[in-house]
Amino acid sequence: MTDVSLIARNLFRKKLRAALMIVSIMTAFLIFGVLVAFEHAFNAGEDLAAADRLMVVNKINFTQPLPYAYYERVKAVEGVRQVSHANWFGGYYQEPKNFLIVLAVEPESYLKIYDRELDVPDDARRAFLSERTGALVGEALAQDKGWKVGDRLPVSSTIYSQKNGGHVWEMTVVGIAKPAKPHIDSNFIVFHYDYFNETRSFGKDMIGWLVLTTTSPAVNDKVAKTVDAMFANSTAETATDTEKAFNKAFAAQFGNIALIVKLVVGAAFVTILMIVGNTMAMAVRERVREIAVLKTLGFPPARILRLILGESLLLALLGGLPGIGLAALAVAALREKLLNFIPGMVMTPDIAVLAVVLMLGLGLVTGIIPAFSAMRLNIASALGRS
Amino acid sequence: MTSDDVLVRLTAVDKRFTKSKETITIFEKLDLAIASGDFIAVMGPSGSGKTTLLNLLGGIDRPSAGEIRFAGERIDGLPESRLAHWRAGHIGFIFQFYNLMPMLTAAQNVELPLLLTSLGGKDRRRRVEAALAVVNLADRARHYPREMSGGQQQRVAIARAVVADPGLLLCDEPTGDLDRSNADEILEVLRLLNREMGKTIVMVTHDPAAAKYAKRTLHLDKGRFSERDLAA
Amino acid sequence: MRSLLLQIAATIKINLKSLPQRFWLSLSTVVAVGLVVVVLLSFLAMANGFRQAVKGSGSEDIAIVLRGGSRSELNSTISRDQIRLIEEAPGVARNAEGKPLVSAELYLVVDGLKRATGTKANLPLRGIGPMGAALRKSITLAQGRMFEPGSNEIVVGKGLLAEYRGFELGSTVKFGTTRWTVVGVFEAGGSVFESEIWADLPVVQSLFNRTNFFQTVRARLTGPQAIAALKRYNDEDPRLKLDVKTENEYFADQSSNTTDLIQKLGWPLAIAMAFGALAGALNTMYSSVAARTVEIATLRAIGFGAFPAFVGTLVESLVLSALGGVLGAGATFVFFHGLTASTLGESFTQVVFSFTLTPALALQGIVLALVVGLVGGLFPAIRAARLPIVAGLQG
Repeated sequence: MTDVSLIARNLFRKKLRAALMIVSIMTAFLIFGVLVAFEHAFNAGEDLAAADRLMVVNKINFTQPLPYAYYERVKAVEGVRQVSHANWFGGYYQEPKNFLIVLAVEPESYLKIYDRELDVPDDARRAFLSERTGALVGEALAQDKGWKVGDRLPVSSTIYSQKNGGHVWEMTVVGIAKPAKPHIDSNFIVFHYDYFNETRSFGKDMIGWLVLTTTSPAVNDKVAKTVDAMFANSTAETATDTEKAFNKAFAAQFGNIALIVKLVVGAAFVTILMIVGNTMAMAVRERVREIAVLKTLGFPPARILRLILGESLLLALLGGLPGIGLAALAVAALREKLLNFIPGMVMTPDIAVLAVVLMLGLGLVTGIIPAFSAMRLNIASALGRS
Repeated sequence: MTSDDVLVRLTAVDKRFTKSKETITIFEKLDLAIASGDFIAVMGPSGSGKTTLLNLLGGIDRPSAGEIRFAGERIDGLPESRLAHWRAGHIGFIFQFYNLMPMLTAAQNVELPLLLTSLGGKDRRRRVEAALAVVNLADRARHYPREMSGGQQQRVAIARAVVADPGLLLCDEPTGDLDRSNADEILEVLRLLNREMGKTIVMVTHDPAAAKYAKRTLHLDKGRFSERDLAA
Repeated sequence: MRSLLLQIAATIKINLKSLPQRFWLSLSTVVAVGLVVVVLLSFLAMANGFRQAVKGSGSEDIAIVLRGGSRSELNSTISRDQIRLIEEAPGVARNAEGKPLVSAELYLVVDGLKRATGTKANLPLRGIGPMGAALRKSITLAQGRMFEPGSNEIVVGKGLLAEYRGFELGSTVKFGTTRWTVVGVFEAGGSVFESEIWADLPVVQSLFNRTNFFQTVRARLTGPQAIAALKRYNDEDPRLKLDVKTENEYFADQSSNTTDLIQKLGWPLAIAMAFGALAGALNTMYSSVAARTVEIATLRAIGFGAFPAFVGTLVESLVLSALGGVLGAGATFVFFHGLTASTLGESFTQVVFSFTLTPALALQGIVLALVVGLVGGLFPAIRAARLPIVAGLQG
């Protein structure tokens, strides 16, 4: 027998009670894991944004267009390494409710700028660049819809019309883009701006926004100021900011998701703190006589403290570890369902590490008071009770 | 008795309790010497301080004044953690209600004091087996307390008390909850431990028949030993 | 029968009187159940507040016309010819001078700064014609006046003014290079229009380079039934092929996604938390039965039945959870009801709404609490009823 087996025997002497505690801790960590993964995915745009990437949008609002000419002019700015541009297409497949994220882009520069995020095979890249009606489909979307290279897709727009009055653009899937990291969103289609621009009925030679990389993050500020100054007092003034700031501001538009997550997780933890803390205190009160006997046998105070704290820590881990495991399963299951709303939801190692830290914290907090009272227990008076 | 033979010596020990503003004096200027290898029965009416005496001897209670020496060393001033260490090495306790851990088997209960030693698993098992053999319970090692009779539980408690080989056994009414035949079995075991293994035993009891197993009997009344029993 | 009732009353009394002995444990059950209810009700109040703001915006007798398949005003485009055709359509009401009650509008997104966070947010700027305000129900000017046609003046909704910086009456607002003066603040009964900025259509068209560009058309119908005639007219004319809906239908669609999403988050979270609270309730009630073993056995020994022991335990559990439910609903009302928030709506612009807890929602929370109490009390109550008398008496 060891201290660990002594602790386990203590914990499981009332099996039902231990099982109930484990279930309640498990649900708290399930909620924690799922919500934090949700929040991380929600703010992934901010976390994954490249430090040297800037977004140039219309100063009125990013939904307002910019003239195509800005593309060439921004290219010439000192400190700019690469520039590309994109236009929101408002895509859907067959029915407006089958919403798709579709962008009309300048293919070559776009793939260069997102080189670190997207893993595009060489043949797919060549086919995309050469095929005017070619479309590159993100892996998650391709899997979801069952699309393969060579498929012809009629993609409709909620916004744009063709010159002939139709809303449908015919595209051919020429390649599948894989995300380079699990958090990266691959629920999208990109196709040629030229094809889009020449066929649409209005908005010709306008683009949605510019995205650029700088030669170094150190020149970001200078580049942003230069670009904005260049177009000041024109009909389309620009606002240039880092991709990170842009993504952060956009995510914030949905509301304070982080606060909501904190409140719910907080409520779940207050619940288990109260339940587990009280139960540990009760368990120790029931055992004062036994603790007194252990002390009589010569168990030193520190050892008694360790035995009780060990029990609450073991309980927290036995509830928390399966809880975070369940959360990982739940996140994997939700990943597909929430594809359109929050792509890239994953249980990351840092969430798991944070969970383990919280388990240890829970074990300490719920065990510390009973452990101290056990440690300070007066043997003579505890044995006197019968 | 020479000082070499004295295992425990109480000198001018006072013990007072404060209970809701009222101070109760249990002992005043109590002196006592217990020789190594002795087997003492302590008798006396309820409230005479028998259990308090055992608690003081075992270092689980402290005197209000005076000193307690064990093998020549003072123990009354030791800090709690040193005292615990000392108890683990020198004292074995046996209680009226056995006080076994309900969720541990007989063998695991006996093993508890060995968790405080540096012995490995194999050595511990050997010691536990030996201790259970002494109390004739080798065949009950894997039983839980609730599966055993009172007499058997008390024998497990005795095995637990001696497994770490302490010099002094303190027994608080060890047969108080048992019938005659079970009580006699327990007392036989204690006598054996005293005679064959040289354990010094102090046993508090109400039972004159139990006291007969001891080498001598001390009568405690109102915190004083009767004159005739006082050992010099 | 009378005896049974007396027995039940006696056991309930014993149970409830013994509650203080388990004060902290019982309190933890009450708080746990209360927190479950707070989580559920705050999500439901959020969903409800959003739905009321959006869904309540529409009228039955206003038709909204969008480009086919465009789903929201922001995406839609409508040509001048199409507007003319709608003005002549059957079912469209006319004023005393015989002019059709139709408003062609432009819906643009501009940046505003959120007061709470200082971050940029999408705000809707609507260019409306002279009929525009009359085509919304219950529009009243709370401050100032309506914009003058042909000037760069704006009026803003009350909700927008409350949530975003810089739109106070008399202040100047810059959208890109254009400058606008806030001349009025309007109320619209808490609807989404209160989250909008309105200006004169031709001025917006010219200052935003959208000359001759229209996005939606609103038309007052001669009556709610007239929508059918308008739809038929639209379907039969190949020049139209637009989406025609009543404003009611349109806003119901606009609210459903977000409302569904909030509810779909709230319920599973609350149910997961309820399992945690249930474990706590079971633990508390099993402890209660264990603590009362001697009392229960004594009552049984003097002739009480098993059923009163069962009921006493169940009632104790229900009382604790009902208390939690009521406290949770009360806390939601105090801390969340009336709280103003905003989120990105289907039109890609901010919708300002306030959390709205209704008695019907509060009842849902209390029912969930009672379910936890019922399940959490049932098994311990069965144990109490089956307690062996002799063993119980020995303590």
